[in-house]
Amino acid sequence: MAGKVSLFLAVSALLFWSFQGSEFSLGQFWRGIPQLFHFFGRMTPPDWSVWDVLLTSAVETLQTTIAGTFLGALFAYPLGVLAASNWTPVWVHLPIKAFMAFVRSIPLLLLALLFVSAVGLGPFPGVLALAVHSVGVLGRFVAEEIEATDQKPLLALQGTGASSLQIIQHGLIPQVLPQMVAHLAIRFEMNLRDSTILGLVGAGGLGFYVFLYVKQFQWQKSGVLVLAIIALVFAGEFAAWQVRKRLI
Amino acid sequence: MSKEMVIQIENARVQMGGRTILAVDHLEVSRGERVAIIGNSGSGKTTLMRMLKGYVPCKEGKVVVMGDVFPIKDPQKIKTHHRHIGMIHQHFDLIGRETVWQNVYHGRLGYVSLLKSVFGICSQRDLQICAQAIHEVHLEDKQRRFARTLSGGEQQRVAIARALAQEPTILLADEPVSSLDPALAEDIMDLLVSVCDAYDLTLIMSLHLPELARKYADRVLAMKNGKIMWDGSSDSLSNDRIGEIYEFMGTNGVVNGNGTRASRSAFTWPYGWQGQPLPGG
Ligand SMILES: Nc1ncnc2c1ncn2[C@@H]1O[C@H](COP(=O)(O)OP(=O)(O)O)[C@@H](O)[C@H]1O
Ligand SMILES: [Mg+2]
Repeated sequence: MAGKVSLFLAVSALLFWSFQGSEFSLGQFWRGIPQLFHFFGRMTPPDWSVWDVLLTSAVETLQTTIAGTFLGALFAYPLGVLAASNWTPVWVHLPIKAFMAFVRSIPLLLLALLFVSAVGLGPFPGVLALAVHSVGVLGRFVAEEIEATDQKPLLALQGTGASSLQIIQHGLIPQVLPQMVAHLAIRFEMNLRDSTILGLVGAGGLGFYVFLYVKQFQWQKSGVLVLAIIALVFAGEFAAWQVRKRLI
Repeated sequence: MSKEMVIQIENARVQMGGRTILAVDHLEVSRGERVAIIGNSGSGKTTLMRMLKGYVPCKEGKVVVMGDVFPIKDPQKIKTHHRHIGMIHQHFDLIGRETVWQNVYHGRLGYVSLLKSVFGICSQRDLQICAQAIHEVHLEDKQRRFARTLSGGEQQRVAIARALAQEPTILLADEPVSSLDPALAEDIMDLLVSVCDAYDLTLIMSLHLPELARKYADRVLAMKNGKIMWDGSSDSLSNDRIGEIYEFMGTNGVVNGNGTRASRSAFTWPYGWQGQPLPGG
């Protein structure tokens, strides 16, 4: 009982501390609501004259996502196998796990900023940022999936005289493939969402033009691109859902 | 002239977690024999089979399997050793998301080069051997089905076919029928014994029911605490003798497979020692 009370007090204190520190203010929010409508109001009516920008940048965002996700997966799968603690010795899986955790700890926009300063503006640094981020996230899923698979059928395969690579091909991959594809679909969906704002730091795509037009106070043009972002993210989510639905 | 020895063990000791879990002073098995191992859960049946397969190292003593002296170091020899010993498990251990045919083909992997298996190239001979193995276990009509969609008995038949595809000399069966209901268990045992006869395989199987051991084996080993306490022909395994063996093996606090204490009263012939009725009544 005393434990419950002190837990309640601790959580309350934590919440109070957080809202206080983040300058939370209901009044300020309430007074800001008209501003919100004003903002969206300025975006209407959408100025469809930018349809060519919309088309090229949406395609660029999609291409960035596909290339980045593919490149990430290319490295994530082998690294994930090596990072599975029940498959490799500790001096192999521990450094790889640490590397992937380190990569995950860098926010995507920061990664993009890094690559923009390395290779210049445009979608290419976006591809690199998505790839590196995906290695960290996907690789961890792969490792955890392998750690969770039933090892006994794999041992039975070893018992037939199959080599390690044959065990991976004929035992491991069939067992984990559906989960792998599901994770890849989710990763693609998330990467698509993330890549729409990579333009904020100059890494190409739809986001770049949204911010460009906002900076130039061309609200009605940026509104069109915001609509495109929403549509694209929605389509990505739908596609990923379709893929996962077929697997179950 | 005596028959060819396939397994010779002298004073073998296996240690795990600082404990000796297997201590076999002397065991010889000749080609074509059918040996059943009986004993309580935890008596070392699985460990003995895993040692023969080379999965657990034996620290002391001499183990020779088909002329290979343990420990085998050469990777090529380890592979050959694996190919020669087929193994069947209580829970079948198939790849559930592959077809029956693919699972049987896994038995050929030890013979196929990596490059060929990556591109799915099967030689005519591999195809023939798989087809024959599937024929032996009567699963021709189910070879395109996913293994996980099959019943337990069918899955164990796939496992037998996979082992046959290895073209083994020795077949180890670790509680092959413990997860099957009694009527099915008899079918699988009949099949196991008939394929061993047909291919002149040496069969070593651990069985949870002494009655099965007496019916299907020529020779019975009774194990307790990692030691072989009795080794004799199954003909000499009369009801009285079984009673004696169990009296001797006792149940002194040994925990059975369900994690409950096996009580002495649960063991009353003609019932198994966990009180299951015998197959077929
Ligand atoms: N990897 C291991 N580490 C430590 N002890 C083990 C290990 N494997 C088996 N044992 C022990 O060895 C004994 C024999 O086990 P096992 O061979 O599985 O018995 P059985 O197959 O007859 O039920 C048991 O007491 C078990 O706890
Ligand atoms: Mg066992």
